[in-house]
Amino acid sequence: MNSAPYSITVQELAAAGRNNIPVQLQSAKQLIYSSPATLAFNSPGAQGFGVKRAGLAVPESVMLLVAPGCCGRNTKLLSQIPGYENRFFFLLMDESDIVSGKHLERVPQAVCEILEFLQKKPSVVMICSTCVDALLGTDWERVCRKAEAEAGLPVRPCYMYALTREGRKPPMVLVRQAIYSLLEPAERNPRAANLLGYFSPLREESELYALLQAAGLRKIQEISRMQTFEEYKELAKANFNLILHPEARLAAEDMEKRLGIPFLEMQRQYRLDKIHRQYELLGQALGAPLEDSVYREKAERAVAEFSARHAGKRVAVGERLNANPFELSLALIQYGLQVEEIYANVSPEDFFYLRALAAWSPMTRVYTNLSPTMLNYNSGSAMVDLSLGADAAYYQPDAANVPWDDEKQPFGYAGLEALLQRMDAAFI
Amino acid sequence: MKGLHKVIYPFAPDQSGAVSVLYELGGLLVVVDAGGCTGNICGFDEPRWQQQKSAVFSAGLRDMDAILGRDELLVKKMAEAAEKMDLNFAALIGTPVPATIGTDYKAVARMAEKAIGLPVLALDTNGIRWYDEGAEKAYLAIFDRFTKQDGERVPRSLGILGATPLDLGSLDAPQRMRMKLQQQGWERILCYGNGGTLSQIKSAGRTEQNLVVSPSGLAAAQSLRKRFGTPYRCEYPDLNPCWETIAKDLVGKRTLIVHQQIAANTLRKKILQHGAADVTAATYFMQKPELSEPQDLHLREEDDFTNLVRTGKYDCILADPAFRAAIPDYRGRFYAFPHFAVSGVLQGEEGSKAEGMVL
Repeated sequence: MNSAPYSITVQELAAAGRNNIPVQLQSAKQLIYSSPATLAFNSPGAQGFGVKRAGLAVPESVMLLVAPGCCGRNTKLLSQIPGYENRFFFLLMDESDIVSGKHLERVPQAVCEILEFLQKKPSVVMICSTCVDALLGTDWERVCRKAEAEAGLPVRPCYMYALTREGRKPPMVLVRQAIYSLLEPAERNPRAANLLGYFSPLREESELYALLQAAGLRKIQEISRMQTFEEYKELAKANFNLILHPEARLAAEDMEKRLGIPFLEMQRQYRLDKIHRQYELLGQALGAPLEDSVYREKAERAVAEFSARHAGKRVAVGERLNANPFELSLALIQYGLQVEEIYANVSPEDFFYLRALAAWSPMTRVYTNLSPTMLNYNSGSAMVDLSLGADAAYYQPDAANVPWDDEKQPFGYAGLEALLQRMDAAFI
Repeated sequence: MKGLHKVIYPFAPDQSGAVSVLYELGGLLVVVDAGGCTGNICGFDEPRWQQQKSAVFSAGLRDMDAILGRDELLVKKMAEAAEKMDLNFAALIGTPVPATIGTDYKAVARMAEKAIGLPVLALDTNGIRWYDEGAEKAYLAIFDRFTKQDGERVPRSLGILGATPLDLGSLDAPQRMRMKLQQQGWERILCYGNGGTLSQIKSAGRTEQNLVVSPSGLAAAQSLRKRFGTPYRCEYPDLNPCWETIAKDLVGKRTLIVHQQIAANTLRKKILQHGAADVTAATYFMQKPELSEPQDLHLREEDDFTNLVRTGKYDCILADPAFRAAIPDYRGRFYAFPHFAVSGVLQGEEGSKAEGMVL
């Protein structure tokens, strides 16, 4: 019998609490449905930045994927993105390799053959390994050292171990650590800071740049803006790292330990008061208050105008977008919209937002893209005016959609304003 | 060197081939992986996925599931999912993770059958072999399990085997083939696994003849002949009509075709009739002895293809455009003969064209 898709109100979810997340919302407890809405979860390499693409964030790097053929199949999609041509190579394993580990002996030769093949020597060869080597317990540091000695250039591992997705060090955390691992101690520049967390830069209009400059910083560095390996090395001179995505925490800790660079942390928010509060705290940490009133007032005006035009409109929010779906939903509700449905995985950390959502909009329903019952989701049943996120578009094919998954990352007041502009245009 | 691909990207794996056969048959398809294999299958190798829902699931394996071999947890997940939907059967589709830990698929399938009360197919694909081997396993398993002698043979009925999107490269191809075959006098045409249903699989023993369009369907056709006496022939009926124009260019020419065997053989027959001097068919996929000519070659490594072209002195090559980049110094004529399982590009999409004409 086809059963209705599982969903729960935010009120029920908040009441259950972070330690009692229903099993229907836990990916490890059930089969994981595969629909176009789940592609970013099931195959992050095919959408946005998964390990393969992220591993190539080091300028002038190339990647050797050491894996069964299936792991490299969709890499062709990535190779079609400008800037990624001729940067992926494959060392395919056969059945005997998964028993004997013999493929590891071929890695140094493969790296040398790639260097012969390339017209220009790369800065580093990233070795991307997959689930088989996770199970074999391969010591990739050792394998890479051997390859490095034979090839005469840096060879570094990155781990596409989907099996460890919910572990302490999931793949997207480890790859963030890997891409900064080539940095070596350098003399610090007190007027330089790194923004960590994203593999593509912030949108140029983000006020974060101006605020940091006003605080005396002259070089605000992002790995994605580094064109050459020489430029990349400048990251080691930063006075501090500013984490913008929690998955970069391990990388920041590693850089603090190896390079002596301390770190601060912020998060992307869409609620005006929280954006302001973060800047207050950042200013306190820097010892130089950040004067954000100009940006804040402009964003407040944008919110007021948006609310006047669109209050009461109904939206659905997915998770394939540049936001935490629960935080974004909370912001939109506070700006006068009705969030009917949210399609997202729930983690214990989300309960901070869920409790607030329960107060503001208790009947908002939460679905998880991954539940087998989503096979029975009746598209468009919520009758919304607009969906946010590429996955939400799948569930609401008749509603206007703002994917909000651009590569350039929105942040702060400017990110909020840009989102409202897109939504405004879509509503019209 | 062994296993190194510098230019040609990996082909569709066996797990994609298996799903491709079963996709439309109303089963609970469980890819026994951590998630990435399912994403590869659906997001890249299965063009129907964007348009047509199917109960394809990832087992969502995590490291401790693999280390501890928690088969009972997988069965529990399957049973819970099966309760919530109408299903004809279930299938376990293997990936590198269960291949590494040595999962006993048949045992898991038996446990799952008891738990969910439906037939469960166990396909020991491993992500290392290519799509055709997985498709072959799926065809064999589904016909073996469901096809019964349930009535008289249906006159002028034709079953098509080996016609998944991975081989046809176009979602319109089954319809085109049907029209061509109807013109040949066939009235009831069943394209198993691509526009067909499980009930057609069940009554496959009643068809008058089977048509095998790629080697992945050959073993099943042979099994159906053995069980029900159904004769089969091998032919690829969806060649682009422009082959006749190309054939004129090939008169007196030494030609290499790289594709799956039956498509290559069908084209070879036609261009030889039009005057090609000699034609070699090479393939990275299954090379069935009964479909091979003495000069044909099986390719394994990327270097096998580049070496063949360097030493073979071919005037013309007909192959998927993805192979062209591997032979930048080749000065002969290259005709695009697309193969979705190689390039992952549907016919008509950007990237399906290369120099020369497109078959």
